[in-house]
Amino acid sequence: MPSSQTPPAGSTALDPTAVRPDIADARIIRVTPAEVRATLERLKGEGFAMLLDIGGADYPGREPRFDVVYHLIALASDARTVAAVGKPERVRVLCGVTENEAVVPTMTDLWPAADWAEREVYDLFGISFSGHPDLRRIQMPVEWEGYPLRKDYPLRGPAREKTPRPSFALKSNVAAGTPASGKTAAALQRQIAAARGQIVKDETK
Amino acid sequence: MAVNEMPGGQFFLAKLDDVARWAQSSSVWPLTMGLACCAIEMMTATASEYDIARFGSEVFRASPRQADLMIVSGRVAQKMAPVVRRLWEQMADPKWVISMGACASSGGVFDNYAIVQGVDTIVPVDVYVPGCPPTPDGLLYAVNLIQQQIRQGGRGGILARA
Amino acid sequence: MTTSAGVPAAHGLDIVDTGDGRMIISMGPQHPSTHGVLQVITELEGETVVRAEPEIGYLHTGIEKSAENLFWTQASTVIERMDYLSPLSNACCFIMGVEQLLGITGDIPVRAQQARVMLCELHRIASHCVWLGTGGIDLGAISGFFYAFDLRERILDLTELSGGARMHPNYLRIGGMRDDLPAGFLGKVDELIAMYYPRMRELRALLQKNPILQDRMIDVGILSAEDAIAWGITGPALRATGVPYDVRRAFPYSGYEQYEFDVVTRTEGDAYARFMVRLDEMDQSMRIIEQVRKQLDTPGPVMIADTKFAPPPKETIALSMEALIHHFKIVSESFRVPPGDVYQPIEGPRGELGYYIVSNGDNRPWRVRTRPPSMYNLQVLKKIAVGEYIADMVVMIGSLDPVFGEVDR
Repeated sequence: MPSSQTPPAGSTALDPTAVRPDIADARIIRVTPAEVRATLERLKGEGFAMLLDIGGADYPGREPRFDVVYHLIALASDARTVAAVGKPERVRVLCGVTENEAVVPTMTDLWPAADWAEREVYDLFGISFSGHPDLRRIQMPVEWEGYPLRKDYPLRGPAREKTPRPSFALKSNVAAGTPASGKTAAALQRQIAAARGQIVKDETK
Repeated sequence: MAVNEMPGGQFFLAKLDDVARWAQSSSVWPLTMGLACCAIEMMTATASEYDIARFGSEVFRASPRQADLMIVSGRVAQKMAPVVRRLWEQMADPKWVISMGACASSGGVFDNYAIVQGVDTIVPVDVYVPGCPPTPDGLLYAVNLIQQQIRQGGRGGILARA
Repeated sequence: MTTSAGVPAAHGLDIVDTGDGRMIISMGPQHPSTHGVLQVITELEGETVVRAEPEIGYLHTGIEKSAENLFWTQASTVIERMDYLSPLSNACCFIMGVEQLLGITGDIPVRAQQARVMLCELHRIASHCVWLGTGGIDLGAISGFFYAFDLRERILDLTELSGGARMHPNYLRIGGMRDDLPAGFLGKVDELIAMYYPRMRELRALLQKNPILQDRMIDVGILSAEDAIAWGITGPALRATGVPYDVRRAFPYSGYEQYEFDVVTRTEGDAYARFMVRLDEMDQSMRIIEQVRKQLDTPGPVMIADTKFAPPPKETIALSMEALIHHFKIVSESFRVPPGDVYQPIEGPRGELGYYIVSNGDNRPWRVRTRPPSMYNLQVLKKIAVGEYIADMVVMIGSLDPVFGEVDR
């Protein structure tokens, strides 16, 4: 559990994706929901045959609030040697999605791999994918309310948000509010004396 | 229990409860309730180095009707909780429950929205095993404690009601 | 979602006579196949699968949300618990991603990189041992389980000796490792290497050449290379279709470029091909382990020297004020990672495991998105199960080797 000495959040970036550190992990493309479908179709035509992942992210401090992140890799299905596979190019498409209009077109017809990934982004962030054949919750039970991975959703869930930690304190066999017996210190002294081999006259038993 | 010499031969006298409990404790068959990492250590407890079969748990039954012991091994997610409860209800009496690992006992490392904070909020537990995951030795000790409970007529004994 | 007969499938299956002789059954989430909590809602015509819809989420743990609420140094503890068959692989991937954001990838000591490779390959073999043992049990070949798990015990002994715990040791840290490999570790690795090849011969004799296993696995669950790419399949399942994509070769990390190993491929794409690829991959992992073992004879530091990230050695804390302060800071509030995002892939036992890590400059991760290979590998069950017998469902799930800690997170 983070300590009470956590440094203040004043010096943090509201849009970390705008900061481009010197890491050559993928080509980055930022799009809007209106452009994302055309961009991904174009990329697929350019040889990015595999959709690796679709993920979501929540940046409440910036507009648009959400990001849907598509990871693609240019793997050819007819490559049969390690040399032919080579070092395939990677691309990361970041689609900014606003809170009011949290809808993005589906990619399930381009890549069947998108099916569960989009359901998970819907389940955990509440972003809908128009045209998805079966958009329903995948990780949480069907009747769950709320989108857990949003930053305003409490870590422990709304039901337990205010209960004290740790939860085993609630299962103690001593009723809450029982006053201290006042005998603990003496009992401890007796234990220490016994461990030291000293005999102590038993007064408070 | 005692061996008595009587005309006609030797007779072994014992209370029916004791014999029944001895038989029950010697053949506790667990239900395959493997959820997460603890399930792997539970499988390791059935493998040759730890060998739970020497304590009587010869087979793990997949059907709750045929199992005596539910070893909840792993974290219980929100979606899985009603399933665990239903399986426990389907088990025939007498039945016992081991809560294996920190996640099953109290939620473990995961104090969050997704994990049930202790399987004893859904089913009554007889033995808790600490660890993340506990070593298979810990699970074997828990099975031994269940056997002791059975022999002493604890909850789940032949005449007890759940 | 409805089946082709218009009957709602998923929670609370009702018994409805659709009149066309089709049956909808729910396989799981409690079933004898020991792969974890998976529910496959199967529509059957006789014994042939007409439609298979896997339902996941029965192990959703909220690991990604937990990681957002832990320090950078603590987050790897929960992340280890995703793919629980090879925990150090997950930790290694996450840690390397954070090191990229910190810009210290080039400063990780060579010995730490070698030890990471050794431990990741050991855990790959351990993970494949579980796959092999449980895959055999699914088919009724129970003896293989005991042999495979005994091999895994030796590897868990090594994990416990070095890291302190059999599973989830939290041994790999940002900047290197917690402490050096203990004395006697390399001797035990030599013992493992010596017992590995005879043990694999036994396992191959038991399983690979078994005509019943071959009958049950050959031509079951065939996946073509085009479908594999379209469905996002990586790892042994992809290599069994013919595409030799291995992240250790394509995007080498932690010094993998210096080790000689083959990328094992087959072309048939059926369950037996996936079986053979994993078996041969275990041998290639052992080949890498033998090469790293020789390198580990050379001593060296295992943690980056910069004490902003690495807790200073315990001996110095009593002597140096700065060491004490750095240690206190790192433990009580962790260091801060500069803002940015990175995608770090590794070759896990199941395929390309990736972490998309976003930092906003704070001392806790802002977002840790896992690219779970098992989830994508499992999704293709919807396609390859159609037309197979229900009895082969277990074979197909086993051959895809999902781990539900990773699928559901």
